[in-house]
Amino acid sequence: MPDVLHEPESGPSIIDSRWLGAVKVDAECALLFPAGLPGFEELRRFIPVEIPAHRPIVYLQSPDDAEICFVALPVYVIDPDFTLRLSDEDRSLLQLPEGCDPVVGDDVLCLALLRRSGSAPEANPDAAVVINLHNRIGIQCVPPADAPQRFRRLGPGGWTTPC
Amino acid sequence: MLVLRRRLGESIAIDGGIEIEIVEISRTRVKLGVTAPRHVKVIRKEALALAVENRQALQFIAEGLDGIAEALRLLPARD
Repeated sequence: MPDVLHEPESGPSIIDSRWLGAVKVDAECALLFPAGLPGFEELRRFIPVEIPAHRPIVYLQSPDDAEICFVALPVYVIDPDFTLRLSDEDRSLLQLPEGCDPVVGDDVLCLALLRRSGSAPEANPDAAVVINLHNRIGIQCVPPADAPQRFRRLGPGGWTTPC
Repeated sequence: MLVLRRRLGESIAIDGGIEIEIVEISRTRVKLGVTAPRHVKVIRKEALALAVENRQALQFIAEGLDGIAEALRLLPARD
C-alpha cells in the first residue's frame, strides 16, 4: 500500500483510489487548492502520495473523487534551471507574506504534472503546481497566453526541451 | 465586439445573473470582480489551454503504477 507523504498522527481515513488502491490519509495531510486546478476547479483538495520504490514521483490523489489522480515530479527533476515566477494573484492565493521571495524546497514545493506525448512522458515546468509548505495551500501557475510553452520531454539523454 | 467604457467601481451586467465590476485600476492592469451563479465557470482565458493539458495529464495514471515507473525509467522495461 502506498505511503502518504506525511504520515498522519491520528485519525486516518482511507481513500479507495482507483489507481493507488487504499490510501491512508489524514485531513492534515491534504493540500488545499483555493482555485482548484484548471479544468478541475471544483476539486479543492489533493493528497500527496509517495511510493518508496517510485520516488521521486508524487501522486496527487483527490480525496473527493477516487478516479482523479495526477502524476507529478519535483520540477527540478525535469528542469534543473527552473526559476519560479509567481503572479501577484498566485502570491495572494498562497498567502505568501508581502515581499517574500519563496525558496523552492524550503518555503514551497514545485511539482510538474506529467502527461504522455507519443512514446515519452513530458511536462510543462511553466505550469508548475506550487505548494506553500508552511500552510499546505497550492496553486497551479498559468503561463501567459503569449509566452512560448517550454515543454520538457524525457528522451535518451534525460529531460530536454524538444526542438 | 461590444466595447463599453467604465470607471472604477462601475459594473456591467450580463444575462444570467452575471456581473463584472471594475475593482482596481493600475497603470497596466485592471482588476475585475465577477459575480456569477455557482454553475457558471469563470477562469482566465489562458487557463483554458492549461485545462486541456491537465485533462491530458490525468490520463497518464491509467498506464498503471509500474507502467509509469517504467516510462520514467525508475523500473526496467518489461519484455
